[in-house]
Formats: sequence, C-alpha cells, structure tokens
Amino acid sequence: MFRFDPYAPAVDADPFPFYRTLRDDHPCFWSEEANMWVLSRYEDIVTALNDWETYSSAKGNLMDEMPNRAGNTLGTTDPPRHDRLRGIVQFAFTRKAVEGLVEPVRASANAALDAVRGERSFDFVADFSSKVTVDVLFGLFNLPREKERMVRDKAVLMVQSDPRSRQKGPEHLAAFQWMGDYARQMVELRKREPGDDLITALIQAEVNGEKLADREVQMTVTTLIMAGIESLSGFLTMFALNLADHADARRRLAANPALIPDAIEESLRFNTSAQRFRRCLQKDVDLHGQTMREGDFVCLAYGAGNRDERRFPNPDFYDIDRKPRGHLGFGGGVHACLGTAFARLASRVAFEEFLKRVPEFERVQEHLPWMPSTTFRSPTRLDLAVA
Amino acid sequence: MAKVTFIEHSGETLAVNIPTGWTVMQGAVQNGVEGIEAECGGSCACATCHCYVEEEFLDRLAPPSETEEEMLGCTAAERLPNSRLSCQIRVSDDLDGLVVRLPEVQS
Repeated sequence: MFRFDPYAPAVDADPFPFYRTLRDDHPCFWSEEANMWVLSRYEDIVTALNDWETYSSAKGNLMDEMPNRAGNTLGTTDPPRHDRLRGIVQFAFTRKAVEGLVEPVRASANAALDAVRGERSFDFVADFSSKVTVDVLFGLFNLPREKERMVRDKAVLMVQSDPRSRQKGPEHLAAFQWMGDYARQMVELRKREPGDDLITALIQAEVNGEKLADREVQMTVTTLIMAGIESLSGFLTMFALNLADHADARRRLAANPALIPDAIEESLRFNTSAQRFRRCLQKDVDLHGQTMREGDFVCLAYGAGNRDERRFPNPDFYDIDRKPRGHLGFGGGVHACLGTAFARLASRVAFEEFLKRVPEFERVQEHLPWMPSTTFRSPTRLDLAVA
Repeated sequence: MAKVTFIEHSGETLAVNIPTGWTVMQGAVQNGVEGIEAECGGSCACATCHCYVEEEFLDRLAPPSETEEEMLGCTAAERLPNSRLSCQIRVSDDLDGLVVRLPEVQS
C-alpha cells in the first residue's frame, strides 16, 4: 500500500517519485505519518492558495509547526489582519529597497570565495551559501557579529524534525526557543538604540496608525532569520547542485551570466528548498473522490506541483530556457514569499561572483546528506571539486 | 469559470478560460500571456501585474483594497482610472467575458 511519510529519509533524499505517485494515483491522499491530507497537483495547490478562507494559515503553515508561532507571523495569519500586517512589513522588501543589497551580497560572496581560493574542493554549504546568507542577514539587521556561528546553527536546527519520533525533537524546539529569545533581545536593543537597519524599520513601521505589536516584531524577525539564513542558503545549495549536475547549463551560465536569472527560476521550479507547507480546513471539501473534513490539515506540496506535467511539460528535465512562470517555488497567493525579490537578487549576485571564480565544478559525494525536515529540502553538506 | 480576453500592447489577443477562484493574473501567467510579470507571486507587492480593465467591466469588480490602491501608485506604465492589479481580480461566473488591456511595460 502506498505511503507518504514526509519524515522518512527516503523522502528527504528524493521526494519526486513519491510525488509522481501522489499526483497520478492519489491526488488527494491521507498521510497517516503526517496526519494530514496531501495535495500534489499544480491546479489543486493553486486553488487552495487562492482560497484562504477554506485553507486557513492561522493554525500554522510549517508541516511541523512550532509552539506559539501560529498567529504571530505573517505566514500564520489570515486576511484581513494578514493584509494589514503584510502592508506594514512589505515596504522593506520591495525591489527598490532590496537593490541596496547588491554590493553587500557581492562583497560577502567574494569574501567567501577568497577563503577557499586555491582549494581543490570545498563544502558549498559551510564555505559559501551559509557564509553569504549569514553575512548578508547580519548586515541587514545589523546584528552583533560575535553570535554569527550560534545564530546559524540554531537556524539550521529550528527547521528540522526527528524522523523517528516524527515530530520536533527537544533540540529543535530548544533552537526555536533560543532564536525567539535572541530576536526579542535584538528588538529590545533596537528600541533603545534605533538604527538604519531592518529591525528598526519593522519596529517603527506604521500603516494607517497601525504598527506591529512587540510579539509580532519578534516572531517576524525570527522567521526572517530562519528564511534568510536557512531557506535561502538551502536554495543557493540546490542551485549549486543543479549546476554541478548539469554541466551544459553551468557552462552556458559561466559564458553568459545574463542567463543566471532564468536558471534561478528553473531551479526554483525544479527543486525549490521550500517543498511543503500546510493549511487547516475551515470546512469540508470534496476533492478527487475524497472528503477532507473541517479541521483537517492539508499539505500543499509545492515541490510536487512544480513537477506536474499537467502544467510544466517534461517536468523532470532541468531546462534553463524554460522560463517557468507561475512556478510554486515561492508559494503563491496572499502568502507568497515576502523575500522573493531579495532571494532572486541574492541568488543572482552570489552566482555571478561564484561562476566568475569557479566556472567548472562537480560534486564529490554520490549520496548527499539531506537535512531531516518535513518542510524544507537541501543537503547539509555539498562537497564540490574545483576543476 | 470565466472567459477572459487579454489584449497585449502589441494588439495580439488571447482568450483564456480561468477557473472560478483563481485570479486574472494566474490565468494570464498559466496561459502564456506575455504582458504580465507578477514578480511577487500574487501577494500585491510589486505592481507588475498591472492591467487596464475595459470600462464596462469596471463596476463588476470589487473595489481595490488599501494595499492595492497603494501599489497602483507604483506601476511602471501610466495609472489610468481603469487600472487594476490583475492578481487582485478574483474570477467568478459574472466576470465571464471580461476584457483587459495590458500596458507596454510592467517594470
């Protein structure tokens, strides 16, 4: 009997065959291990994303949600309150605001590359993607640098789950707790000493007389640290993996960096680091012969929808000429990733620099160590051999 | 379901059937309509899904939210009285026959 267990190492390593069976044979599937329904077809996911009244985010959006998070972040709040809060936070993430990050990202990327100059091989995660994302995030928030290592380690732990107990383990919850405390301290610091940074902007932001409550600033900062450090680093790593494994694409990008944005979009489609999120049903829904009940959780498997040939022909082919508009790599609808412009820009600039210095590379490990996470997917280590 | 016609800046026309509950932007992006970018994925954050709604349909649409109003001030092409962000137009049966014109630029 078919099973879909998002805690299983096999799913971390390669969810795509499971997704195919889900889409083709069980498009509305009850996963006992996840204790929720799973939607895998592109069209059904888009419908759910649009219908926030039915598919609510207010009970949490992470597959394994963390205590006290629901209702305190944008992604775990429904409209209309969500729209007011997002309006407040959003201005900081518009393309114009984000363009100020081009030079910091370029500098971080080059500093990381300087450190591995001359090495025959290095770990893309430890030596590049996590360094760059931590560096840029710390700059954005003007966080004290002594804590860089710790913050990174906690961000990576927060997003993981224990595959054997099928829930967040004590170390994951402790990491989340630590991050929340850290965010609170940073917020308090910026209230006392405001600056030109994003935390100050979040504290001070006001739309129609409404500002974010302290708890909302704290949870937003926590989420931004998680997203900016772990989710973006994960995506940079997946992009590097795609380029390591597809030499033709890599060589075309190295020869013509103007193609990098299109390759980024295709990687977002092909293997976004943000694979699966959840919603909570506010009423019964009949779909594909199943009745999902009010109160049930539903997994929206973006990674599956992105490989749905009903939407993207020849979906398992990595094609940098595809221009996959409407892909689910950033989700979609009212909760579409706030960091979209930032992620696109950071990825483009980071890889412009990377490919200038390391145009030829291949992976060393045949099997990668995949992060155990029900929501995110990326390897914890990616060793690259430099030509 | 509603049939929505997109008139590109070039004059090229494309009629698309969009499922109820989807946005006009999503219908455009899925069906290869060139003149819509939708950088932010439909979260009313980028003003690159700007369209001009044919006059007769304007009243049938729910008025713009405050956020959409603000974002309409950020369009790359001229804002006109019939400007709307297509990611904020939700399709229903009574929008059947909707016609929108697309601007020359989105960003």
